[in-house]
Order: sequence, then structure tokens, then C-alpha cells
Amino acid sequence: MSNHKINVTVNGEVEVVEVPANMTLLRMLREKLALTGTKNGCSAGECGACTVILNGEPVNSCMVLAVECDGASVMTIEGLSKDGQLHALQQAVIDQGAVQCGFCTPGVLMSAYALLQRNAKPTDEEIREALVGNLCRCTGYNRIVEAVKQAADQPETVAA
Amino acid sequence: MANKEAQREKIPNPIGVSVPRIDAREKVTGAAIYADDIQYGPGLLYARIKRSPHPHALIKSIDCSKAKALPGVKAVVTGDDFPGYIGLYLQDRYIFCRDRVRYVGDPVAGVAAISEEIAEQAVELINVEYEVLEPVLNPEFGAGPDAAIIHPKLGEYVVANFIFPEPGSNISNHFRIRKGDVEGAWKDCAAIVEKRYQIPHVQHVPIEPHIAVAKVDENGKVTLWGSSQSPFAQRNLIASALGKSQSDVEVIAPFVGGGFGSKAGVSMESLAVAIATRVKGRPVKLRLTREEEFYTAFVRQGLIAYFKMGCDKDGRLLAMENRFYWDGGAYTEYSVNITRAAGYSSSGPYDVPNVKADSYCVYTNHPVTGPMRGFGMPEMHSGLEQCIDDLAHEIGIDPVQFRLLNCVRTGDTIVTGMKMHPTGLSECIEKVAKAIQWGEKAPPSAPNKRRGKGIAIMWKAPAMPPNAGSSAWVEMNEDGTATVGVGGQELGQGTFTVMAQMAAGALGIPYEDVRVARPVDTDYSPYEWQTVASRLTWSMGNAVVNAAKDARRQILEMVAQSWDENPDDLDIVNGVVISYKSEEAVPLKNLVIYGLPKPNDQGWIGGPVVGRGKFMPTYVTGLDPQTGQGPRAVVHYTTGAEAVELEVDIETGKVEVIRGVAAFDVGKAINPDMVKAQVEGGFVQGLSTAFFESLILKDGVLQNPSFVDYRIATSADAPKDIQAIIVEVAQDDGPYGARGVGEHPLVPTIPAIGNAIYDAIGVRVGAPPFSAEKVYLAMVDAGIIA
Amino acid sequence: MINVHAGLPEFEYVKPGTMAEASRFLVDHVGEARLFTGGTDTFVRMRDGFWKEKYLVDVKHLQGMRTIRFDPEKGLTLGAAVNMNEVIASAEVNAHYPLLAEAAQTVASYQLRNRATIAGNICNASPAGDTLGACLVYNASLYVHGVDGLRDELLRTFFCGPGKTVLHVGDIVTELNFPIPPQGARGKYIKLGRNVISDLAIVGITVLGFPDADVPSGFRYRIALASVAPTPLVVEAAGGLLEEKAASAETIEAAAQLVMEACSPIDDVRGSARYRKLMVRNLTRRALTQVASDLAASGEAH
Repeated sequence: MSNHKINVTVNGEVEVVEVPANMTLLRMLREKLALTGTKNGCSAGECGACTVILNGEPVNSCMVLAVECDGASVMTIEGLSKDGQLHALQQAVIDQGAVQCGFCTPGVLMSAYALLQRNAKPTDEEIREALVGNLCRCTGYNRIVEAVKQAADQPETVAA
Repeated sequence: MANKEAQREKIPNPIGVSVPRIDAREKVTGAAIYADDIQYGPGLLYARIKRSPHPHALIKSIDCSKAKALPGVKAVVTGDDFPGYIGLYLQDRYIFCRDRVRYVGDPVAGVAAISEEIAEQAVELINVEYEVLEPVLNPEFGAGPDAAIIHPKLGEYVVANFIFPEPGSNISNHFRIRKGDVEGAWKDCAAIVEKRYQIPHVQHVPIEPHIAVAKVDENGKVTLWGSSQSPFAQRNLIASALGKSQSDVEVIAPFVGGGFGSKAGVSMESLAVAIATRVKGRPVKLRLTREEEFYTAFVRQGLIAYFKMGCDKDGRLLAMENRFYWDGGAYTEYSVNITRAAGYSSSGPYDVPNVKADSYCVYTNHPVTGPMRGFGMPEMHSGLEQCIDDLAHEIGIDPVQFRLLNCVRTGDTIVTGMKMHPTGLSECIEKVAKAIQWGEKAPPSAPNKRRGKGIAIMWKAPAMPPNAGSSAWVEMNEDGTATVGVGGQELGQGTFTVMAQMAAGALGIPYEDVRVARPVDTDYSPYEWQTVASRLTWSMGNAVVNAAKDARRQILEMVAQSWDENPDDLDIVNGVVISYKSEEAVPLKNLVIYGLPKPNDQGWIGGPVVGRGKFMPTYVTGLDPQTGQGPRAVVHYTTGAEAVELEVDIETGKVEVIRGVAAFDVGKAINPDMVKAQVEGGFVQGLSTAFFESLILKDGVLQNPSFVDYRIATSADAPKDIQAIIVEVAQDDGPYGARGVGEHPLVPTIPAIGNAIYDAIGVRVGAPPFSAEKVYLAMVDAGIIA
Repeated sequence: MINVHAGLPEFEYVKPGTMAEASRFLVDHVGEARLFTGGTDTFVRMRDGFWKEKYLVDVKHLQGMRTIRFDPEKGLTLGAAVNMNEVIASAEVNAHYPLLAEAAQTVASYQLRNRATIAGNICNASPAGDTLGACLVYNASLYVHGVDGLRDELLRTFFCGPGKTVLHVGDIVTELNFPIPPQGARGKYIKLGRNVISDLAIVGITVLGFPDADVPSGFRYRIALASVAPTPLVVEAAGGLLEEKAASAETIEAAAQLVMEACSPIDDVRGSARYRKLMVRNLTRRALTQVASDLAASGEAH
């Protein structure tokens, strides 16, 4: 199996990575770049724990080959807070008590971030629809929905 | 001063305050470390497991020669390498199968290799010859004399003294209740209902699959990193199985990405450890795929339950006769105690003078069952609480009134003969009935909809050995902050936050000044039995409060000596030691490490402060094996009630839960918002099992081993309106009166929904999950629709 | 027991420079090479071990594969690598082919729809494909790049069985083409899954109705079904009935009955044949009622 050398921008940093053809974006992030905030829950595109933003859109990183990301821009949970300041969504998740075990949380935040990028004032239904691919076994979801609403209500993107 | 002490003792800040979670920031930033996130270095090996394709077969031969020859393979092991049994209450498992396989997925051999791919290739090269045997696929049949025997050596297994296997059968535990005169009571009944209920196996579905990384060094010391609810139980069981000292096994347990019971006891961890013994010095990682998780991780027992219950003309329950056949699967080392718990709680939360119950744990060739949130109570209450509704209808009493009339109250003699401690169950019932506007029927939202309401109540005791213990330390730091050491685990339920609150409250320092030491590491953390049974807030909480009080005592004695005062006149408030007498004050900073100078520079007193605390219930008694009667079966019961309002679409059978309300008596809510979060999450998990979840087994083979066909509730399925109500009737030996609530919200959800569906359409749907198909076809079969 | 790979099995990643090169590669590696665009089926099947190709051929970067184009004369062209979310967001699709967007919206999750494509849905020929019904009732055709040249394939004759299509080795679907839909058309897709949304279809009902003065009732209907036959199913007979007689509760019921009788579902873990048939009847009734009502309303509006 061949290796491919790719250039990929991750959380604003340009990375040059050697990846085998069968390496998923998920494995590249975790194993090559030690960005372990992105979680592996099913490797089948079903649970959403591995959700990252690829060229501005959320994807299941277990369903994308790393080699396909040559020249691409990727954002992970590690890129959401800036200079130690939590993003409004992160603060909202804390405020609403929307995190328990935390394993789905990075993926949830990536999906929610992408939602607010394309729809600044989503309705309850739109939030639930956007998060349907992020399974959570702890919270029962409603607090997550409330957190997205809280973040959407804030004019600034980064919480004070 | 005693008065002040008593006042402080009542509710110190921040007990009862909804402080933010102590672990929230790292979890929302992706910084929180789970077992798979630890970097194990270039020496890491990867394990994969050869598993049985048959539900029941004898192993005739295993040929590993080709696998061993594959380049990159570092070890191949089979059952003969590890002859010891392992198990929590009943040692009925080998680490790898030796003579026989008992479910599809049973581990037969293990491989460690330099990559996961090579390990997989090696597994495929292992050749196993089987002699296929007749599988046992139904627990009721399995309990009878005609079933094939799955564990011929059952009589030789090591077993806890409160578990009663029946060698020569597939019954691994039989728990009996004989209270009063059931036979004599039936003739006094004005109404009797008899029903059979069935409930399928479901899975815990933590979003983080099981993972274990094991390393064995030259001295034979075992280090195990894992996603674990039970670091100490794992240390103990693995040490026993491998013939090692507990002090030579170290279990390191970082954050758990969801457990719900599936990561309690020992399961796949022993495989990783066993393989690691053959590759000294190198860590071996075994991570279950999601599919393996479905095939081989613990599942909840299936249950076939028979209920017979009767009441007099005024609706008073007179008798119950219940028989439970638990589908325990291939190994029941843990589940035998679920059967016991269901037995000693078999009346449900009711005052019933005459009870006969038989609870059988039965081996089948289904997946291995184990503890799951609720520990037998959701399964048992599902039938019981629907049957209670039927009896209420039969005698013509409103289901809420029927429950208020019969529910267990303070001082009642409950099913095991134990006196019921103070409980707020009737308050829970009244509160959910009010919140759901019981008795008022709103019109359906569309012509094709039918609307209904349902209620169910529950009780559950921590199911554990009578003397399961907790310990804790509280170590003071230079700046006056404190670090709490515990061996209980943060699974998401919030225990680290609650422990920090309790330590802060008991010490007299701000919550923000408390840290919880982690990861839990059996070499450094104090002993904790397991993170199960909703017992930590109560048991570990007591240990932490005791440790904090011990630290506080040390501090006050030191300061009192320095100030020449009585410690009783001193207090710690907001991190400052104050004297009510002299009105002196000194911050904890520095003195908790360096002590205080004696007057006139005559040396020093005190020194580093480490508080120590423990808790172990000492009052639980044994029960008579023939009658299940004894003075105190359990430590306590948490009780509660749930009600739902829903609509059924009679054109599709789809059910939509419009709102749910839940009330639980938690004794004292240490963190009310987190109690509510537990209740909401548990309710939705219960709803998920009510509508979607079932392991579909065909001849012992799982048909839905992935999220494609094992559906769980999503964000779109959760009812938007879920109301959690906290009831507080204090627990006499709980820290600040608290008792646990982690599992309980899941318990009454299925029957509450079942009762509401019945209210809506007048039909009982049968076994959960109440899929649209089942609801629709039940309506067709009942002639309600064409 | 299915022994699912922990990760993807080994393969080579091939990224051809032209369509011809891609097609040639597929011919030169018969049985060893597979095209992929989003990979949402491919990666799952390879982890499961059902597909064992040595080469995965990525063509989504090739010219035209990501294009959405609408021509008021010719209709809509969707590049084969246009993902579901792009279809849902397309103003042209929503203006002229709203059923496509409506059906695509029901597929899995937002994340997965960023990778999943309608063309992939079609080429994998799953009888459960949500978007196939919409493509069928809009009379879609496929533009195929084969080793021997270019050709069009009508979607109606494209499916041969579950996972089986008329495509040959070396064929690459590069575009989906949709003619201008009938004037005044109204459509509805009703999907019944286990969850509220996001699940695979237990049954999926697609209905497109439009005015046609040449038929006695004044309206024509096209009805397509998912998950109730080995291939996506178009039920002509029911449409015929509603061309003859105006849509009323009775005629709709009769049409729904015909649709139910036309399908041949199986029992599987998602639902029984019995339930599926009953749901085909009930949801066809619901969809037809909705479409007929929309058509009547739009008729009054004109």
C-alpha cells in the first residue's frame, strides 16, 4: 500500500503528513497529529463523535480518507477556543449542563458550530435536525439544544 | 458552639448549589483524556480476538501455527494459557474459552501484533474446529429439564454466599420470597390479574467503545489502562485470575465515555491483560469495534416475567405471585446478583402483605449479560407497572389513586421483612400527577391521532455486597486549596463535581478551591468497590465528608493549639480559620503544609494536612434462602414516579411523547441541576429502550450489530418537554441526607409509556420496543383499525 | 458473526486526471477497482469485508462532477459528485424540483449528506434509497462515460436488482439529467423510519402530480416506492386510475390499494412484509391526498 504526502491546514496550521491510502481523516488527526479531541465511536459514519469541519462543512472524519484532504482545511474541537477563550458554544454547553461523559461533546460542538455558521438563528427543529447525526447517550439532548440556542442568542462569537 | 456546629452540619455551602461541573471545561475543549487518547509510545502492540461463530459448541482443536508465523505477530494465546476462572459473584468464565464456546463472539484466541491490520490477518489464520451443540435460546425452556446444559461444572464454581446456583441445570441463581400466605389470600381478592411480559436484551451503547491497554513488566507487575467503572474490582479479579497479588496489579482509569454498567466488573480487560503477559514490557491495546461492542460487551438481561396480583374491593393489594426467568446469556458471573435484586424488590414499591416470588437466573447461548443502569429494575418494573394498571382498571380505581393507596410508605414492612425507611414516594406520585394534569384529557392534535397519559412508579436499592466500602482522602495544598482522592469514577454522572462540593462544604473552603485527583489509579487512589448501583453520592460521599472533616479537625486542633483556644470555638469559613471567641482569623494558605510557629519562636506545630475517611455499611443482614426474609435486605431504596403524555398515529402506529415528568426522592440534592440532568438523560434512555432498542437474535446470532439497525434515540426523538422534580426526604446515613439517583430515572419509563399507549388506544402492545409496527399491528389485531 | 475490520482494509488510492483515464483504469482492473465519490457506502462495505477492492478510484475532482446547472429549455444537470446538502441548498432544485430536495433532506444526518451523493445512491441501487423515487418521478436519466464512448441511460430501466444496475465495467456516471418537470407539478415524499428522522426507510412513498388536460381527471400522477421491492418501484396502474377518475377519498383509497397490491416487500430487521404493505397503502393515501389538495389549491390560485 502506498503512502501519500499531503498538505493540510488543521486549525490554521499547515501540516505536511505522510498517510497510507486507507487512513481515514479521523485516524490521521488522532494518530499523526495527536489531536485526540476528535473521538472514534463507530468508524461507520453513524455516531458523529468524529465530526470535524472540512472546508467549512461538517463531516464524519471516519468517512473521509486523509489522502482526500490534500490541500484542504480542517477544523477540530481543538480549534474552537481561541487563546484560552472559550467559544460561545462551549460556554453555553457548560452553562446549560449539556455535557456529561463528554465523549460525544467534541462532535456535537463541531456540528453546532457549523449550524450557526450557516444559520445564525436556528429554530428548535433546525437544531435537532442538525444534531441528529451526533448520538449522545447521557444528556437526553434537550440541554444541548438549549446550549445551541443560548450561543445563537449571543452577538459575539467568542464568549467574554 | 455546638449549636453552630449543628447548623453548619445541616447545609454548608455549596451543598444544594448547582455549581458548574468540575470537568466541563476540559470536556468542551477536547482536552479531556479518555483511555484511547493516551499516547502509549512506539512499543504499543495491537490485539485482536478470534471469536466463536457458534452460539454453543465444543472446541475440538485450535491451530495457531500460521498466525504465529505471520511477520509482525508478537504473541498468540488461547484458553489453555490461562486456566483460571474469573467472575464477580460467580466465577463461571475462563479468560479465553477452553473446552466450550457459549455465545457468538466468545473469545477463543488472542493475537498481539505491531498493527491492528496484522493482528486481524493473524486472527483469520487461526483455525478452530468445533463440534456444534444444540443452543439454548429461551430462559424459560432453559430453566427446565429438557434443555442442554451450558455449564456442566456449575457445581464447582466459586460463588458468593448469597447466590444459589442449581448444579445440573442452567439455573445459576434462584432467589425466593415467601412472605405471608399467598394461597390463602387469593380468595379474599375482589380482582385478580395474571399477565406474562417479555423484554428483550438491550445494550448500554456508551458512545466510547470498550478499550483496555495492558502492560506486564519484568517483575510481573500488571498495568492496565482502561475505560472502567471498576478499577479496584478489576484489580482484584484480574489478580485472582492470574494468581497475582493485588498490589502487583495497577489499574489506571481516565475519563469514561459512558458506562451505564457495561464497564463495571471485568469483561474484555482480562483479554488484554492475558495477551500482555506474553509480550513483557510492551503495552497491548485492545479496542472493541462498534460491532464487537454489540456482539460481545455486556448486554442487559432479557426477561420473561409472570405476574399474578390481587386486591380487595377497596383496591388494597393483598397478594402477589411473581416468577421471573432471566435470560442471563452465556455467563452470569455478574447477573446472578441482578436476579437477586429483582427478587428482593419483586413486589415493586408496594405494601403487599402476601408475596411469593421466584427469580431464576438462567444460562442461555445468548450474549453475556451484565449490569445495566437500573440493575434488573427497568425489566421487572416494565411488566409489574403495566400489571398494576390493569388491576386498577379491573377494580375500577384510577391508576394514580391505586398507587397512592398501595405504595410503600415510611415504616411499612416491605417484601423482605425490612422496615421501610423514610421515603417520599407518595409525594413523587402526587407531584407527577399534578404536573401531567392527570385526569384531564386534551384533544388529539389531528384526526389520525389518539392521545393518552400514563404513570409508573419505581423503587431501587443499591445492589451490591452487604459490605461494599468506600474510602477517600483530602489533601491540603500550600495555597489553601484541597485535592480530593477517590477511587470512584467519573462516568459523566458528575460524581467528581459532587465530591468536590461535599469536600468544600465539610472543610469550609470555596468549591473553586477543590480539585479531584485523577485519573483514578489503584496505586495512588483510595479504595472504592465499584462505580455502580447509584452508590457513590451516598457511600463515597460519606467517605469524602469524613475525610474532609478529618482534615478540618487536624487544622482546627493545630490552630487551637497555636492560639491557645478550644477547637470547638473555631470554624473554617471560606478558606479562613476563624475564632468565634477571640475573633482571630487566619487563612488556610501555608499553615496546612508548613504548620504554625509556636509562640515566641519555640518551634512549630502541625504539618502537611491529609484527611482520611471511609464508609462501609455495617447493618445489612443475610436473608433466609428459603423465604428471602431478614431484618435488613438493603441499605435503602430510592423511589420515584414518572408520567407521560403521548399521541399515537393510528395510520402508522408511530408514537410521539409530548411530555414527560419525573419525580425522585433523592434525600438531598447536592447539585440540583445535575440531578435534573440525570433525570432527563435517564428518561430519554428509557424512552429509547421503550421505542427503539432490542438485540435481534436469530438462533443466537445477532442480526443488528451496528447503529444502522440498532437504533437509539436521537436529538429529534427526545421529547422537548421533560420536567424533573426533586423530592427530598433525607436519608439517615446519607451525606447531608443524600441518596443516589443515577439509575432510577430509566426504571419507570417503559411502563409509563406502555400505560399511556393503553390509555390512548385501549390495547396492550406486548413486549418492548413499542415500535410503530408493533403498535399498528396490535391495533389491527384488536380490530381497532383495518 | 460478521468480523468487521477495525479500520479500512488496505487498498491503493487512485486519482485519475481524466474521465477516460479513470474508465480505462477500471477496465484494466476488473474486479479489483471501484469508483467512489462520497464513500459513505464504500467505506462501510469495505470495513464489513463485503467489498475487497484493491483500488479505490476517486473521480469527484474531474470536470463537471460538482456542477449544478439549470437550463430553462433542457432542465437540470447534477454532477455525479454533487452532495446531498448541495442539492438541498440549490435554488434551482428548490424552484423546479423540490421533491429532490425534500427526499435528500431525509437521508441520514447533515454530516453524512456532505459526503453522500444522489448518483452514489443510484449506482448502489439500494431499494431503500430515499432520493431514487424523486429521480424516477422526474424522469431522470444518467449520463454515462463508458470505455466505448458516452451514452444516456434512462433511470426507469437502470435497476436490475438490489445492488445491480445496467452499468458495465468501465462505466462512470458523470451526470444526472432531469427534464423540465410538468407545469404545475406538486410532489410529496413520505418516509417512514424507526426514528423520527435519520433512519433508513421502512417504506418511502414518492408522489408527483400535475395537471394534464388530455386525461379525463385533468391530472396525472407518478408514484414510486422505496424499500418494498428488490428495486425502486414505479406503480403505473395507480396513476392510471387517477387519470381516469378525479381524486376523491374513494379514488385515492382505490389507488392506494392498487399501490399496496403492486409491491412485494420482504421481512427484515426494519419491518415485516405485512406492516410494509399496510404502510404503503396508508402513506400512499396520505401522500396522494396531500398532492391532490396542493394541486387543487394551486388550480384555484391561478
